[in-house]
Amino acid sequence: MSYIGSHILDRELKKGSAELLILSLVEDRPRHGYEIGQLIELRSRGVLHFNVGSLYPLLYRLENRGWIRGRWVEKPGQRRRRYYRLTAAGEKVLAAQRNNWRDFVQAITRVTGVAHA
Amino acid sequence: MPDFKDKIRARLADLKLSPARENEIIEELSQHLEDQYEQLITRGATEDEAYQTALLDLNQSDLLEPELRRIERRVHHEPLGMGADRKSHLLGDLWQDLRYGLRMLLKNPGFTAVAVIALALGIGANSAIFSVVNTVLLRPLPYKNPERLVMVWEDNSKQGFPRDTPSPANFMDWRDQNHVFESAAALVEISFNLTGAGDPERIDGQRVSASLFSLLGVEPQLGRAFRAEEDQPGGNHVVIISHGLWQRRFGSDPGIVGKPINLNGESFTVVGVMPRTFQFPTRRDQLWVPIAFNAKEAGERGNHYLEVIARMKPGVRLQQAQAEMTTIATRLQQQYPETNTSIGAVVTPLHEHVVGDIKPALLVLLGAVAFVLLIACANVANLLLARAAVRQKEIALRLALGAGRARLIRQFLTESVLLAALGGGVGLLLAVVGLNVLKRFIPPNISQAHAIAIDAKVLIFTVLVSLVTGLIFGLAPATQAANFNLNDTLKESGRDSAAGSRGNRIRGLLVISEVAVSFILLIGAGLLINSFLHLRNVDPGFRAERALTMKIVLPETRYADKEQRGIFYRELIRRVETLPGVISAAVATNLPLTETGNSVGVSIEGRADPAPDRVPIVITRIISPRYFETMGIPLLKGRAFAEEDKAESPAVVVLSETTARKFWPGEDALGKHIKIGPTNSPNRWLTVVGVVKDVRQFELVVEPKPQMYLPFTQANFFEPRALVVKTNLEPLSLAATVRKTVWEIDKDQPVSDIASMENIVSESVARQRFSMLLLGIFAGLALVLAAVGIYGVMSYSVAQRTREIGIRMALGAQRADVLKLTIGQGLKLVVTGVAFGLAAAVIMTRLMSSLLFGVSATDPMTFVTISFVLVSVAVLASYIPALRATRVDPMFALRYQ
Repeated sequence: MSYIGSHILDRELKKGSAELLILSLVEDRPRHGYEIGQLIELRSRGVLHFNVGSLYPLLYRLENRGWIRGRWVEKPGQRRRRYYRLTAAGEKVLAAQRNNWRDFVQAITRVTGVAHA
Repeated sequence: MPDFKDKIRARLADLKLSPARENEIIEELSQHLEDQYEQLITRGATEDEAYQTALLDLNQSDLLEPELRRIERRVHHEPLGMGADRKSHLLGDLWQDLRYGLRMLLKNPGFTAVAVIALALGIGANSAIFSVVNTVLLRPLPYKNPERLVMVWEDNSKQGFPRDTPSPANFMDWRDQNHVFESAAALVEISFNLTGAGDPERIDGQRVSASLFSLLGVEPQLGRAFRAEEDQPGGNHVVIISHGLWQRRFGSDPGIVGKPINLNGESFTVVGVMPRTFQFPTRRDQLWVPIAFNAKEAGERGNHYLEVIARMKPGVRLQQAQAEMTTIATRLQQQYPETNTSIGAVVTPLHEHVVGDIKPALLVLLGAVAFVLLIACANVANLLLARAAVRQKEIALRLALGAGRARLIRQFLTESVLLAALGGGVGLLLAVVGLNVLKRFIPPNISQAHAIAIDAKVLIFTVLVSLVTGLIFGLAPATQAANFNLNDTLKESGRDSAAGSRGNRIRGLLVISEVAVSFILLIGAGLLINSFLHLRNVDPGFRAERALTMKIVLPETRYADKEQRGIFYRELIRRVETLPGVISAAVATNLPLTETGNSVGVSIEGRADPAPDRVPIVITRIISPRYFETMGIPLLKGRAFAEEDKAESPAVVVLSETTARKFWPGEDALGKHIKIGPTNSPNRWLTVVGVVKDVRQFELVVEPKPQMYLPFTQANFFEPRALVVKTNLEPLSLAATVRKTVWEIDKDQPVSDIASMENIVSESVARQRFSMLLLGIFAGLALVLAAVGIYGVMSYSVAQRTREIGIRMALGAQRADVLKLTIGQGLKLVVTGVAFGLAAAVIMTRLMSSLLFGVSATDPMTFVTISFVLVSVAVLASYIPALRATRVDPMFALRYQ
């Protein structure tokens, strides 16, 4: 069941909404890839799932665009992990995308008449 | 903890990322999977379940590679023809294609080197020959509006001179009566002995109409052109000198204008110096004096010795000028029947005259290099096709990822053009080197030969040729890639796919055309080589070995009468014959193969004078007694001249065998009489005292014409100008001594044109040697390229059929069978190619028949020999791959794949 989400997500990839998810998750503090994947699944209550092959290309793409920046961090007693944090450019994009998304969701809501619970 | 790293590495392998980046990604992804695995274990999954689930997560997405490929471009510059949804950016794509193409070429240095060398040879040969054609044929002559300049000739076809030099009276009538020319000028060669400071020197020049320079539209660099009043007898002691003479002889004296110089013992005032680039009519001409016809010359209608150049009025076309001149000539025929009966007028473009007879040779060569380039194209196309087969997977992947076929074709064409551009660059270098070698073989009498160089036009030509070349040889592989069947390739892992068999067919066709084209070239070269051999085997009628020649022209001003000249010649011959190493010496008016002309009309005793246009014309040479002996011209009958043939003794003549046979067929010519001019002329009857073998006087290719010899003691209407010395030493080693001997007799007497007779013979065939050498080189090049092409195709075919051959051998086929099979396949292609080439050659060689001598354009021997050579080379070229095929280990071949 949970993989239905991944198919939807694959398609969403191209539309850029997945970018919004990731940017939001690294807004308050740097996170590593697995953590990001977990959080998406957790907070969407299992509806959204990124598999490895989708998540990392997306991270690299955002990094390439200069919106997030990954760094290897070694913590005592742990393997080194790559943490991603939001850059200044990323903050601007995030703000803009949030607005777009809000407008989009509101528009959908108005049209479909689905009210918030 | 299971290891996911290898699984990830496998997924990334095709991306060819930099190792560092690849490791980083593997580390990050495997961590993720390990985290997942641990979490699943803690939630109660078995190890295997956890492992499978994590792996499924990795394998679930097929977006990993394409996405990474796109994103990681900065690390690994692999541009992809993705993008049905990507907007096409022409320039950006081109840049991408170029970089990608360059990388592909660098990745296969062997392939690239072979292709670039083949193309460089083809393009280089084209650029080199084009530079020659460009300079000699295409570049406008360096005069004002050169397209309006024409030569006007007398048309005396009835006597075999369709373009004869006009006589002065005819020239003046033409000049005064026409309405089509702005102006017309006459010129005639003249040589001067230049004396004064430095060694006496023989300088070639021209007597010219005063209007010549304004007619050409060229101003002297210093001083002025001639004035009209200087074109009158008495006013003509003025001279214009060439830039070269000015520099060399007068040290670029800026005050030269107005100074006198000594020509033939007379004083001439220098009025002008021409610019460095000026040459007219040839580079030999170093000075110009006014032609200033005297009253006797001006009335001459029967002496034909001028060259006439004219400038057409603006808007007048060649046909109009020709029609007008024909009208005038017809009028003159009626007016002066005794001299002009058969004389018309012909107008030809100056350019045609200047370019001369090298044009057909150059066009043939241009065709030849185009052929060489075609063969090179076929070779490279073959290489590309073979590589395209190897690249099937790459193509399939790109198509699968959504690359458009147009985009793929563009990529392939970009690669080809890039290859061609590299070939063009190297080719240009080859052309520069080649031209320097080539220049040595260009016959010296070709106009502008010294100016041949790689200029902007040649560069543009090279760029265009490279571009077109790239498109031509890139087309086959590109279309093949475009028609590529995606499904077949994805299903079949092997190389024996459907596209392969079509590729084989194209490759076969390419080999056939290569063979056909090189066959044509080889035939052309074979015919020229054959001609040249015939030419060198022609008996010129004299023996050229160990003979030294030089020009010694006595100025009339110093040697006014016959006696004085006779004394000089006799004394010269006497002194030279006493020199050590000299066997004999003689003087003559003209040496064979050096100059044309000096022909007279004669009448035969006891026969009525024929019509004016039927008068027998005989080439006349005036000689000293031991000339035949010195030149090695065999005496067939009677005697040669002797000291006893003095001015007052009975007049004698020696005829060539053709003349004797023609005048008295079946009779003995000895003792018969002929006379110069008509029977009633005051000239003495000449008694035939000897008959000598025919000598090819003008050119080796020209059949001997009637000729006669007169003793210099008795005939004086032509002046001896050449000294020939037979020696038992190396002829040129004598030159300085002989020249010193001349100066002992007269310190102001110039000596020029020192050459051995063998050099003269060899010079006379320079044009033929030039064509033969070049066509030979190009044909050799074609043969090598074709051989390489056949070898390449056969190697590829053997590699492809390894498995089949293995099976055959496993089933009991012998070495010989395999050899027969493979060579047979190559032979089939070659024989087909030869058949096509044969058909084409029969048609094409006719175009070069004007270059041939002694062989027909369809000479069977040449055709048979060349076919044999080509087939042998082809067999050899397929033998090596065939041999490799016999070494196939059946077991290996079967396991292979």
